[in-house]
Amino acid sequence: MSDKFIRAISTDEIAPGGMKSVELDGREVVICNCGGTYYAIQRRCGHMNAPLEMGTLEGKFVTCPMHCAQFDVTTGQALSGPVPADLGKESLSPVLAAYMQHVSALMKDIRTESICTYETKVEAGWVHVAA
Amino acid sequence: MKEVSMYTLSTCPWCRKAKKFFADRNIPFNYIDYDLADEATQGKIMQELDAAGVTGFPYVKIGDEVISGYQPERYSSALRL
Amino acid sequence: METESRKKALHYFFDKVVGPLGFKFTPDVELMDFLLEQEVVLEGKHGIPFCPCQPLRHDRARDMQIVCPCIPFHREHFDAIKRCWCGLFVHKDVMDPDSLPQLPPKDVGLE
Repeated sequence: MSDKFIRAISTDEIAPGGMKSVELDGREVVICNCGGTYYAIQRRCGHMNAPLEMGTLEGKFVTCPMHCAQFDVTTGQALSGPVPADLGKESLSPVLAAYMQHVSALMKDIRTESICTYETKVEAGWVHVAA
Repeated sequence: MKEVSMYTLSTCPWCRKAKKFFADRNIPFNYIDYDLADEATQGKIMQELDAAGVTGFPYVKIGDEVISGYQPERYSSALRL
Repeated sequence: METESRKKALHYFFDKVVGPLGFKFTPDVELMDFLLEQEVVLEGKHGIPFCPCQPLRHDRARDMQIVCPCIPFHREHFDAIKRCWCGLFVHKDVMDPDSLPQLPPKDVGLE
């Protein structure tokens, strides 16, 4: 159990099933309300750093809005990697096609890492996150 | 003895059962695991399945008879067992 | 990615989807475990948990029809045989999944 906690948000700021991003001492953290229990995770997706609070929280699972990597917010464990995009059957402009090919090649070797989680506690109607 | 061949998937438990059915009875058979085959072979297999109006694996051929899905009773009757 | 954790997560997500469709996970726990594990393998390979018993055609529109749970795309067929193709899901009233043969649409008067 940590000694030092930072007061983050009040408990009425996030409805159950919701998420909110906060900055605490320079650290970007997302607070998740899982049916009344609060979890704190790093804001940045373990795949390509997209902001997770813009994704979806279903039970204890957060899905990243960018490429749909999924994480368990109680442990930070990466559960699945990106879902490949579909650019449709319309042909792309040569510049865009070349760019997409370049990005695909780079993304092939990007791993989806598990994310950091932080201890939380609720006191006097406020969610606190371990420093 | 009728010739037995099949198209299967390495990830499918019913395909494994189909292979086991014939192996257990010492009936020789050929098979191709579709998912492990190269694209050209996959294309040919899908053409054959589309022509037969079928999409399900395992896809078992006993002589001229085509059986889609794990159907041991039909395998037996096709082989006259 | 850790397989057991991913299997549990897939189980959680799928349960919520198939229930309203009238299906549940097969009571054959060994089969369920095997199929979920294959889906985790397929997800690791392709980024998407496809049905372990249906072929990928490398055509996005068609391959989307075998993303698990694929029940909505094969409703009539699966309702007729009371199971999905790979058997991961069965109708809610099914107690003995072994009694459900794997019949293609043709064999149940469809297509």
